[in-house]
Amino acid sequence: MGRGSPGWLCPSEETSLLFALCLWWPRHVLPFPPGLTRCGAASRGHQLQPRTDTSPSTAPGSCPWRKPVMGETGKEEYKIQSFDAETQKLLKTALKDPSNVDLEKVANIIVDQSLKDCVFSKEAGRICYTIIQAESKQVGQSIFRRSLLNRLQQEYKDREELRTRSLQAWICYVTFICNIFDYLRVNNMPMMALVNPVYDCLFRLAQPDSLRKEEEVDCLVLQLHRIGEQLEKMNSQRMDELFSLLRDGFLLQEGLSSLSQLLLLEIIEFRAADWKMTDAAQKYYYSEVTD
Amino acid sequence: MRRGRAGRKAAVSHRSQLPYSPLRPSRCPPLSAALPETPRVMSFRQRSPHGSTTSSPQPPPRWSQGRKRGADGKRRKQHGPESSVFDESKCGGSDGRLDSFTTPEGPGPLSRCSDWGTAVEEDEMRTNVNKEIARYRRKLLINEFARERKSSSGSSDSKESTVTVELETDEVVLMRRQKQINYGKNTIAYDRYIKEVPRCHRIPGVHPRTPNKFKKYSRRSWDQQIKLWKVALHSWDPPTEEGCDLQDIRPVDLGEMETESVGSNSESQTSCQDNDDTCSGTPTKVRHVDYQAEGEFNLEVCLSEPLKDFDTLAYRYLNAADFIKSKP
Repeated sequence: MGRGSPGWLCPSEETSLLFALCLWWPRHVLPFPPGLTRCGAASRGHQLQPRTDTSPSTAPGSCPWRKPVMGETGKEEYKIQSFDAETQKLLKTALKDPSNVDLEKVANIIVDQSLKDCVFSKEAGRICYTIIQAESKQVGQSIFRRSLLNRLQQEYKDREELRTRSLQAWICYVTFICNIFDYLRVNNMPMMALVNPVYDCLFRLAQPDSLRKEEEVDCLVLQLHRIGEQLEKMNSQRMDELFSLLRDGFLLQEGLSSLSQLLLLEIIEFRAADWKMTDAAQKYYYSEVTD
Repeated sequence: MRRGRAGRKAAVSHRSQLPYSPLRPSRCPPLSAALPETPRVMSFRQRSPHGSTTSSPQPPPRWSQGRKRGADGKRRKQHGPESSVFDESKCGGSDGRLDSFTTPEGPGPLSRCSDWGTAVEEDEMRTNVNKEIARYRRKLLINEFARERKSSSGSSDSKESTVTVELETDEVVLMRRQKQINYGKNTIAYDRYIKEVPRCHRIPGVHPRTPNKFKKYSRRSWDQQIKLWKVALHSWDPPTEEGCDLQDIRPVDLGEMETESVGSNSESQTSCQDNDDTCSGTPTKVRHVDYQAEGEFNLEVCLSEPLKDFDTLAYRYLNAADFIKSKP
C-alpha cells in the first residue's frame, strides 16, 4: 500500500494496513497469525478465550467480554470463600450491618486479599460497592469508601516498588483499581479522582519492559476492554497517548511474544471500532474456524 | 475569608482557613500555613484580640463534644480531638503550592489535597449540590406556577412577591455553605432534634430551620444565620456531665451584630429568643473555660469549626470592624 510509516495513521487505517500486510507477506515471516484467511488465529494455537468477566457497564451484547450482571449475591458469597471463616463472617456483617464493624479494617482486608488473589481482585469491586451502599443507607457515612480509597492511594504511591517486589501483586492491584473505577460511582459518574491514577497504571503497563511480559499485556488489554470506553470519555487525550504507545510497542518492539502481539492488535482494533466487537474481529480472534 | 483582600499574607486566620477553603482557586493560602505551627497562624490576625492564644494552647472547644462523628467520619465514642478533614499526613501542602487549582476542562476547583477519599467526597458533595439546586429551582417554578394560577383565578395579592429571585449559583460558595450546614447537621443535637420534631410539626420561629443555601445572602449574613442556627440547635444537646445546657431564656443582643439580610435574620433572631437555650455564647464559655484550659491547643479543632471557635466578644469586635469595610 506504500503509505510509509504507520505511526501517523489513524487506528482504523492502521489495522487495515496491517491486515493488508498479512495478505501480502509470506506467512512464516509474519510475527503473528495472518488475518483474513480461513485459518484464523486458532490455527496458530493462539485463539483468544472469550472473557467471561462481568461488568456492570452497559454494553449489551456487542462484546463477549461484557455481560451486564448485577446484584448476584450468590456470586459474592462465592468470591469470599477464599477467606477464613472469621473474615468471612466479618465481611458478611459489613455487607448487611456496616455500622457494627470496623470498616477501615474491612477495607484493608479487602485490599490485602485483592493483592494476593487475582480472581478476587476482578470482582472485589462489587463487594465494595455493596458495602458502600449499605453504609450510606444505614448511617449516611462513607468511612469504608474513604478508607478503601486512601489505602488504594498508598499502594498507588508505592506501585513501582510493588511491581518490583511482586509482578503478580502489581497485576492484581491494577485489576483491582480498575474494577473499583468501574463499579464505584459518585452520583452515577465515575470517580474523577481515580482517572489519572488508572491511566498512570495503564501507561506503566504499556512500557517496553512490561510489554515483554505476557501477564502484564494480558492485564492491560483486559482492563481496556472493561473500562476503556469510560476512561476515554473522561480524558480522551491520555487515551490517545496510551494507544500510540501500544501501537509503537506492537510494531516496533522487540521481545514481544506472539500472543502479546495478538492481544495488542485486538485491543487496537477494538478501540478503532469504537470499543465494540465487530463480527470480523470476533471471527478472527475468537472463533475456531476450521479449514 | 474576605474576598479581595490582597494584603493578606500566606498565613491564615481562624475564619479563612476552613477545611473547605481550598475550593477557592487562587485565593487560598497554602495549606502549609494550616499545619500546626500555631504562632504563625495566630500572629497574622492583627485585629484579633486573641493575643493570648498565640502562646497558650487551646483545648478542643466544648461544642466538639456534641459531635457525633469526627470530620473523618468515624463515630466518636469519647470526646477525642476533632481531626480536620485535612490530615497533614495525607495532604502534602508543604511545597507551598496553592491548595486548590482549576483546570480548563475540569468540573471546577479541585482541591490540591491529594487524598483520594476526600477528593471523592468533595466530588460527591458537588454533584449533590448541583442536584439540589436543580430540584430547588423546580420547586420554585412549581410554586410560582401555583401562585400564578391562584392569582389568575381572581384572588388578590399573593403572600409573597412573584418576582423570580436570583439564586446563588457559585459552586464554591455553595460548597462552602453546604459544608457549614453539614457541620451543623453532624451533631448529636441535630439528630435528637429531627427525631423529636418532625418537619411537619415544626413551628416557624420556635424550631430552628436550616438556612437556605440557594438564596442570595452576603457572606456575613450567611455566617450569622449559620451561627444562630447552630446555637439554636444546642437546645437538643444531650445532657453532659456538667449538667444540662438549658438555661433561662437569654435573648441574644443582636443589636451590636451587624447583619445585612433582614428577612431570614429576623426569623433567626426570633427563634433564638424564643428558644430556651443558650443563645448567648459568652456565659457558657465563661463557665467552661476552666474545663477547656486543660489539654493542648488543637489547631485542627480550631480551624474546623470557625464560627463556634470565636469568643462572642471577639466575633462582635471583628464584625464591627468588618462592617465598616464590608461589602454585600
